[in-house]
Amino acid sequence: MIWLALLGPVITLLTHLSAHSIATSLTAPGALDPLVISLESGAVTLAVLLLLGTPLAWMLARGALPFPRLWEAGVLCSLLLPPLVIGLLLIFMVGPYTPIGELLGHLHLSATNTFLALVIAEVYESAPYYVLGAQAAFGAVDPRLEQQAELLGDRPRRVFRRVTLPLAAPGLAMALAVAWARAMGAFGAVIIIAYHPFGLPLQIYTTLQETGLASALPFALVLLVVALPLPLAAYIWSARARGRRRD
Amino acid sequence: MLEADVEIDRREFTLRAAISVAPGERLALFGPSGAGKTTLLEVIAGLVAPRRARVVLAGRVLTATERPAAAVPAWQRRVGLLRQDPGLFPHLSVRANLAYSPTARASGDELAELAGTLGIGELLAAMPVRLSGGQAHRVALGRLLLAHCDALLLDEPYTGLDASLRRTLTALVVRLVTERNVPSVLVAHELADAQAFADRLAVLDHGSLLQVGAPDEVVLRPASRRIAELVGYLGFVPVRPGGRPAPGGAAPGGAAHDSMVAGIHPDRVVAGEAPHRGIVLTGAVTACRPAGAGWEADLEAGEVIVTCRLADRPPPAGGRLAVTALDPPCFGPDGTLLPADAGTRAQPWRAQVPS
Repeated sequence: MIWLALLGPVITLLTHLSAHSIATSLTAPGALDPLVISLESGAVTLAVLLLLGTPLAWMLARGALPFPRLWEAGVLCSLLLPPLVIGLLLIFMVGPYTPIGELLGHLHLSATNTFLALVIAEVYESAPYYVLGAQAAFGAVDPRLEQQAELLGDRPRRVFRRVTLPLAAPGLAMALAVAWARAMGAFGAVIIIAYHPFGLPLQIYTTLQETGLASALPFALVLLVVALPLPLAAYIWSARARGRRRD
Repeated sequence: MLEADVEIDRREFTLRAAISVAPGERLALFGPSGAGKTTLLEVIAGLVAPRRARVVLAGRVLTATERPAAAVPAWQRRVGLLRQDPGLFPHLSVRANLAYSPTARASGDELAELAGTLGIGELLAAMPVRLSGGQAHRVALGRLLLAHCDALLLDEPYTGLDASLRRTLTALVVRLVTERNVPSVLVAHELADAQAFADRLAVLDHGSLLQVGAPDEVVLRPASRRIAELVGYLGFVPVRPGGRPAPGGAAPGGAAHDSMVAGIHPDRVVAGEAPHRGIVLTGAVTACRPAGAGWEADLEAGEVIVTCRLADRPPPAGGRLAVTALDPPCFGPDGTLLPADAGTRAQPWRAQVPS
């Protein structure tokens, strides 16, 4: 029952859509541009998370940072802040009249209403999900296996590549997939700091405002189709990988 | 040659121990849980930083806290460590586990030959999760040997395996270590495991190395009463030389009772009176139970209960029993071993027990 209740919104969406309404909405000129924007910004967001979030997650998992609880609290804080508040605070942090904004200006960049701003907003909304998930994935790797690999003659980087990463991979994939879904659906911070160029969530919002609920539903379906397959694929792969090591 | 002189602070004590193991030699570190045995191995392996230490392996200084200081990282030490958990990489096949070390060759005659010796030749394509405990230990051992380590450290590797498998694996390790001529150290808290493996036995207790020697020497001539307790002596009977009264005319069992004791090992007892072979103990049986293929009886010898393992069934509880403790070690008032020539052969000691 709970499972059905949780899936209720998705089922409702599917029952309220017709092939005709989908075709009409999606074939309009420029209708799929926000999809491209969302995919591009989502890909860049994932790259940023992988590059910066993975080392942080590993250090958190291995207690390699001084005052580890403080670092964890910082990550949790960004998870607990409402996205709308994040957006407001980002304006005060990277807006055009801030030191960071001015620095970006010198580089002919801007962190408001640009693709960069969209990526920044998506990173802030999805990073804690990735970092905490990746921390759990690294934490589940038995440090004695890493020690054993070192004793067998592997230098630490090689241990990370040959032991830590493969063993944490299913958990990392899940964390990345969840972060992808959060980035695709990022709205609160995005509407404040990056109204333009708008991605799928803002397209749904503006369509809802301008032409009503029925015409927004096809874009909601598109968002689900884009956001969900990666987490589902990651879940299936991760379950299979764990199963192979258990059976 | 592996030489380690280590000092490291633990929560309850400071571990101070110095060992030296020649190539091809097998040293067993024996002692109760929490004595510091594993810590000593971890310092040698470079996994724990000591307060003061000097570890030298085959002429290479691996750890030195005094100038010139040295701290070779674990991955450069060429020290193999096998723990109770074999630590196989679960995402790699048996073959990939065996060939994991950068110095091992994935498809060589050596791998196939070693796999055959270890009895895991048919398992090379299997994943570790499919292996039994004994098979996993064989793979872990093969992986260490293929890594061509300069020293082999075994930290209670067979705990949890059945006795027959432990015997088989111990014999295998002994053979391979001898063939490869590397120094090896086994940590054990079962004396039988340590004896089956070692050329030399080192007794470690509460961070101190109490005695190092040949296994039979340590067991038959423990240097102190504490060591005797650790190696399985269950009863300590007050004794005096030749049955003479104690100084001051004390009754048998008087003054001597508080000063000298003979250690009685349950396995070093035979039924009957044979005073030329050791101390004769007589008393009432307080309990009797089967033990392996023989019997174990608790004998009330004066104020002391002595446990004996006998081949023949002893009288039931309440019955009288006479046994001889063979050539028992005797300890002075300070708990140290008395010279062997002052013992049973030169001048028989008599237990002060009621006849």
